[in-house]
Amino acid sequence: MEIVLALGIGIFTASGVWLILRPRTFQVILGLSLLSYAVNLFIYAMGRLRIDAPPVVGSEAGADLTQHADPLPQALVLTAIVISFAMTALLLVVLMAARGLTGTDHVDGDEGE
Amino acid sequence: MNPAFLWVLLSLPFIGSLAVAVIPAHARNLGGWIAGAVSLAGVALTISAFSSVDSGSVLSAEVAWLPSFGLNLQIRLDGLSWIFAFLVLAIGLLVVIYAHYYMSERDPVPRFFSFLLAFMGSMLGLVLSGNLIQLAFFWELTSLFSFLLIGYWHQNESARSSARMALIVTAAGGVSLLIGVLLLGKVAGSYELDAIIASADQIRASEYYTPALIFVLLGAFTKSAQFPFHFWLPHAMAAPTPVSAYLHSATMVKAGIFVLIRLFPVLAGTEQWYLIVGTVGLLTFCIGAWSAVFQQDLKGLLAYSTISHLGLITLLLGLGTSLAAVAAIFHTINHATFKASLFMATGIIDHETGTRDVRRLSGLYRFMPHTATLALIAAAAMAGVPLLNGFLSKEMFLAEAVGHSRGSLLDLVLPSLATGALALSVLYSIRFIHQTFFGPAPDDLEKQPHEAPFWMRVPIGVLVLACLVVGILPALTIGPFLDAAVRSVLLADTPSYSLSIWHGFTVPLLLSMVALVAGAISYLLLRDRLNLISEPPLVRYFKGRRGFELVLAALIDAARVLEDVVGTTRLQPQFRALVAIAGIAALLPFLRYGYHLGPATMTPLHTGFAALWVVGAICAIGSAWQAKYHRLAALILMSGAGLVSCITFVWLSAPDLAVTQLLVEIVTTVLLLLGLRWLPKRLPELWAGGAMPSQVLLRRGTDLILAGLAGAGMTLLSLAVMTQPFGYTISRYFLENAYPGGGGKNVVNVILVDFRAFDTLGEITVLGIVGLTVFSLLRRFRPAQESVQSPIQQRQQSAFDERREGRELGDTLTDYLQVPRVVMEWLFPVITVFALYLLIRGHDLPGGGFAAGITMSIALILQYIASGTRSVESRLRVRPLTWMGAGWLVAFATGLGAWFFGYPFLTSWFRYIDVPIVGEVAAASALLFDLGVFLLVIGATALILIAIAHQSIRTPITPQKWETTDFAGKGV
Amino acid sequence: MTAGWIHHLIIAPVLLPLGASAVMLLLDERRRRAKNVISLATMGSLLALAIALLVQTVTLGFSGGSATRVYLVGNWPAPFGIVLVADWLSSMMLVLTALVGIAGFIFSLARWERAGPRFQALFLLQIMGLNGAFLTGDLFNLFVFFEILLAASYGLLLHGSGARRVKAGLHYVAINVGTSLLFLIGVALIYGVAGTLNMADLATVIPATTGLDLALLQSGFAVLGVAFLVKAGMWPLGFWLPGTYATAVPPAAAVFALLSKVGVYALLRVYLLLFGADVGWTETFGEEWLLFGGIATVSFGTVGVLAARTLSRVAGYCVVISSGTLLATIGAGEGNALAGALFYLVSSTLGLSAFYMLLGLVEHRDADATMGLVAEPVFDDEYTGAMVVDEDEEVGIVIPATIAILGGGFAFCALLLAGLPPLSGFVAKFAIIHSLINPGGSIDASSWVFVGLLIASGLAILIATTRAGIDLLWEPSDQPQPPLRVAEAGPVGLLLLVCLGLMVFAGPVMRYMEWTEQSLRDRQGYINAVLSAERATTVAAP
Repeated sequence: MEIVLALGIGIFTASGVWLILRPRTFQVILGLSLLSYAVNLFIYAMGRLRIDAPPVVGSEAGADLTQHADPLPQALVLTAIVISFAMTALLLVVLMAARGLTGTDHVDGDEGE
Repeated sequence: MNPAFLWVLLSLPFIGSLAVAVIPAHARNLGGWIAGAVSLAGVALTISAFSSVDSGSVLSAEVAWLPSFGLNLQIRLDGLSWIFAFLVLAIGLLVVIYAHYYMSERDPVPRFFSFLLAFMGSMLGLVLSGNLIQLAFFWELTSLFSFLLIGYWHQNESARSSARMALIVTAAGGVSLLIGVLLLGKVAGSYELDAIIASADQIRASEYYTPALIFVLLGAFTKSAQFPFHFWLPHAMAAPTPVSAYLHSATMVKAGIFVLIRLFPVLAGTEQWYLIVGTVGLLTFCIGAWSAVFQQDLKGLLAYSTISHLGLITLLLGLGTSLAAVAAIFHTINHATFKASLFMATGIIDHETGTRDVRRLSGLYRFMPHTATLALIAAAAMAGVPLLNGFLSKEMFLAEAVGHSRGSLLDLVLPSLATGALALSVLYSIRFIHQTFFGPAPDDLEKQPHEAPFWMRVPIGVLVLACLVVGILPALTIGPFLDAAVRSVLLADTPSYSLSIWHGFTVPLLLSMVALVAGAISYLLLRDRLNLISEPPLVRYFKGRRGFELVLAALIDAARVLEDVVGTTRLQPQFRALVAIAGIAALLPFLRYGYHLGPATMTPLHTGFAALWVVGAICAIGSAWQAKYHRLAALILMSGAGLVSCITFVWLSAPDLAVTQLLVEIVTTVLLLLGLRWLPKRLPELWAGGAMPSQVLLRRGTDLILAGLAGAGMTLLSLAVMTQPFGYTISRYFLENAYPGGGGKNVVNVILVDFRAFDTLGEITVLGIVGLTVFSLLRRFRPAQESVQSPIQQRQQSAFDERREGRELGDTLTDYLQVPRVVMEWLFPVITVFALYLLIRGHDLPGGGFAAGITMSIALILQYIASGTRSVESRLRVRPLTWMGAGWLVAFATGLGAWFFGYPFLTSWFRYIDVPIVGEVAAASALLFDLGVFLLVIGATALILIAIAHQSIRTPITPQKWETTDFAGKGV
Repeated sequence: MTAGWIHHLIIAPVLLPLGASAVMLLLDERRRRAKNVISLATMGSLLALAIALLVQTVTLGFSGGSATRVYLVGNWPAPFGIVLVADWLSSMMLVLTALVGIAGFIFSLARWERAGPRFQALFLLQIMGLNGAFLTGDLFNLFVFFEILLAASYGLLLHGSGARRVKAGLHYVAINVGTSLLFLIGVALIYGVAGTLNMADLATVIPATTGLDLALLQSGFAVLGVAFLVKAGMWPLGFWLPGTYATAVPPAAAVFALLSKVGVYALLRVYLLLFGADVGWTETFGEEWLLFGGIATVSFGTVGVLAARTLSRVAGYCVVISSGTLLATIGAGEGNALAGALFYLVSSTLGLSAFYMLLGLVEHRDADATMGLVAEPVFDDEYTGAMVVDEDEEVGIVIPATIAILGGGFAFCALLLAGLPPLSGFVAKFAIIHSLINPGGSIDASSWVFVGLLIASGLAILIATTRAGIDLLWEPSDQPQPPLRVAEAGPVGLLLLVCLGLMVFAGPVMRYMEWTEQSLRDRQGYINAVLSAERATTVAAP
């Protein structure tokens, strides 16, 4: 599993990086979203993989990492998801505005190509 | 005498300057009186202090300023600084009196006097510094205020540019002086003058001697207008004449000389000193004298003569003998007196005739006999006529020149050059006097010249008197003061010297006679020819100012070229740099410690998971591939990728992530879809059919490699970590305490709303801020022209409606959305309930405030999609900002509540209660906090979605109507 | 007020602006006056709070005890919960933030606040983000506060909209979103290896790590460092900086001047705490990169200052120079260079903020200040021909008060940035150079280069600003002067006054900086303070 997940993270990252290096705003925004998927998975992976061990404990005390996945990275990912969602929205609006004001969707506001 | 008075002395001019600065612009008398009083008081204080430095003792007062860096304010008054302080204040007083009558009635003199006093203070601070850093500090201040004084008539272009040139040259010199003294301080272990003088031998021996010397000399030479930095001085003549009389005779330009004398015991006596200082001095001496002869402007003539005399003094110091030092100090004083008076006389001529052009002036004696007489005597002193002070120091100089014996060619060259240059100074002195005051009456003057007002002549008279008495009775007048100064510098090895006018028939006397005669004769021969030459022969090719401007311009041009090379304003290169550098940074440690996988055993692979990720990979790569030409496809593929990571989370026991990811996925997609409408139609490649330019290919190639490497890097990193067995982690604590301490079974949620609730508060804050930003940005949104018209499909439908009679516009749309609309409208309450359920159960099962909020906003946007913006807002009023504010406050107040129980912010409290249907619920304060999150998320998300959705109904619209659109008013 | 309430002083600088802006969201768009009053009150009390914290620090410090105070948010013990830490450095940064903030806000009242909606809330949240970043002792929480201050800065940058701002904003947002991802990668990696996010806890874990863990950990910190350096605008990661700052409205730009210092702060905090002298692998890690990076940055800034065509770009490059100077000084790590660097940080930040606000006035007064920086030299020859004297050229013109004030302010800012007397810039530069050329051993080549660059950059700033300033303020301009509002002149004056104070009281201020340096080098003190912080158990009556 680890290898597959790692490869997945790698592929997402690669596609994302390729896209943010492109000249069109839409490409960049897609790229950043893909990258944030990759990063979310990466953060999750930092807590190691667990199957069928959600961090939902029973009423009885004494839960530990042997029975449950590491909850902290998940919490971090949740925060990261929210923030990257916000940033995507903002970037989208900025590129709409830029498109409107500069008349092009080139990242530099002019056809540099 | 109580050293405290030194503080009074130093602060007086600055206080005066401030006082004058605040009085009204045309209170000229008041300004003059204050300035005069201040300088008079200064003079009095200084004179009263002489008795205590006479005996060679040193008065000093110190206050701590920056002790840990060895920088304290130390005022130090000894013989030398006394002489300089006296010159600064006394001549300052005379200049103030003179200026008061010189400056025009309409001139806002208070500003002038304010600058002048400030300059006086800085100069005083410079000569009284007992700490070399402090000296450098005041040094820069003098540059600054001289800049303001030179640029006083700043409506005049040449004044502006000259002031700037003077500032840049002297300030640069000041900085290098700072470095120099820092090095001296490094060697001596202190910046205190006494300490540095004490460790003179150590300094001369150290490896830092030469650099220190060079830096210090750069400072001194730029300030004292030594070749090749002399060019700023003549241009500084754009200043009002009183300024020239003050700065360019007695003070500013003498600062460099002062530092040379001050550090004479430390730096002098070495080969380097002799070579650099001697050569520069000699060159300046000769070049100055030579150029002075050919000046047609009286002030220009005086400027170059000043340069030449400064060169003479520098040369003397360069010779390095103690007697030479005496001569240098003596000549510094003399030059100050006669040069100041000559500048003032020039001012009068300028004032009375309206020109300073020697070629147009003549025979002024008959109009202004007093001024003429005074100028005559001063000029004679400058020429070195016996019975005047200039003669004495010149004698000393010649004696040194003759006495110079290093067994080199210079022994012979020096006396002859000296005599020649002195002959030149005689020549220009005579020219100055004879052409201006004698000969026929001038014909082409704007105004009828007449004698200057009495008080304008007094200062000149005083100075000329000084020239006379010092010249006739040196030992009685200047003697003790000079002696004190000399002894304070040379200390033990003070030579015996005599100030008598008559030393018998000596070589120096002979030489000075030769100089006088030669100068006189050459004037008789050349007088008319000199008026025809506009530029000094030979040296006319050295154009310092042009050079300065060219260098500056070249510097700026070079910088502009360089900026484009080493910088960029485009986004892609910056992203490349970012990715590349981050990659390298992450790689380096592995180069040092090597890379390998950890020992932990991997989880057995499930084929379904592999298959899932094959899809994921295809989606990701596909969207990367399609993003340019098929945006919609790319978008869908990207959502596919998102879905894959969402399923992965389910698979890998992270249900909360799965839920949230899914919901966010939906909203993001909707957002991007709404955004797509405003992007331009993608045109085909500029280069049709494969003929892609090579540099484009190259760029894409590098990007591809970069992307590949980044991907590989992330893979390897995550793999390495995942195969490392987990040692210490704080998560244990969370698992153990979630239920007992946080009252929740869903540990992730407990972390979010309790253990690390502060993060969550921050996270929703980010969301809120973005909401606000989007809102304010879209209020000014201007769509591009071609995307203004409504979409094709809509237009076709409308056209259809118009063709058929009995149909309202938009009926087709309504019809074919009939079913979905009904469904979606019914869905609204359902989703709402679901959202609330998510919110409540969040503490124990996957869900929580954020998920709930997003769900709720999805419900909202569904309404918009189904029945259109207008109808929705006609039915329910959405007030996103209010929701946001409320949410923030709820979360905030929940956290704050803990304070009243004596606990820190966000400390949680909980108890379990049974709620029918839902079951046991933790009535935790954390739940309340989650409610806040819920509210804010609805608000922010709705705000963003609606703000974007609104764009379609407000187009096409004209900018005027724009601001008044009710979007803002709608309680949003 | 029980002791407990005093304790809340630490978190107040974060909560106050948040609460205030939440309240202002409930007020309608048209209630500008009320909002301005609320915000002004908030900023004022923020300044008071910051000063109170500073005083607390000093008293604690001089009374011999540890000045490091810890606040356990949610009352969870460190390292599990999030901690806020107030110590020498953070108290100083809080005061700096409050000063710049209040000056910027008052300035905005004159005109700029009306350029778009919801300015006050954004501005306060910006300050909140800064305060949080300076206070937090938790790596992930630091990320969150970075996001807050970035999000707010996006808002402030785009405030007033317009093509230039939106174009600059697009770059700024894109690059910073990318950077934030790096930040996340770094933090996650560190957690994955060290298993903790609390800085003090990390500091205890790190020395024990070895082998692959060590490599991974360093890799994580390297990536994190890159994220910080982007914020600080190090070459070649800072190309976005001058253009972005130049387009923002002056009060926003004034705060941005501080924003670029957050990266430097984070570097100082994290690296000195985690890789202090007594951790083995530190000197091989980071420092020389900082030195060379800083040197490159200063050179780039110098080139930029000379090349810039508008004053606001000059200012932008001054920010770059200032960051570079700090990075290089930290990297050089000579003697008490750090204290000097901190002094420089404060002085240059104040100077830059004042400068940005001043430009708002000057460039507003005169549409294009570009003429100031044309490259063509004024050709004329050596001074030999007679000066033809025009009588009325020899009468000084009465300078209108507006120009006099603007001119004075401009001159002071220029001197401050160029490191010339009489303001604190001189002291700061002297302190840095002093400690550079008085190292333990002999002066090494890099120090020489750096000193040279410091001088060069100062002169470049002088050249650029004098040319532009002279043409702006000394050229007799016939256009009528717009009246100068107190709300505009006041803040600039305030900041310059503080700089004057820094110069006059350089001794005490520098002593504070030296204490700060000591506290930064005393890792164990920080670690103990944080990890031994006690939970509140007192149940006071409601």
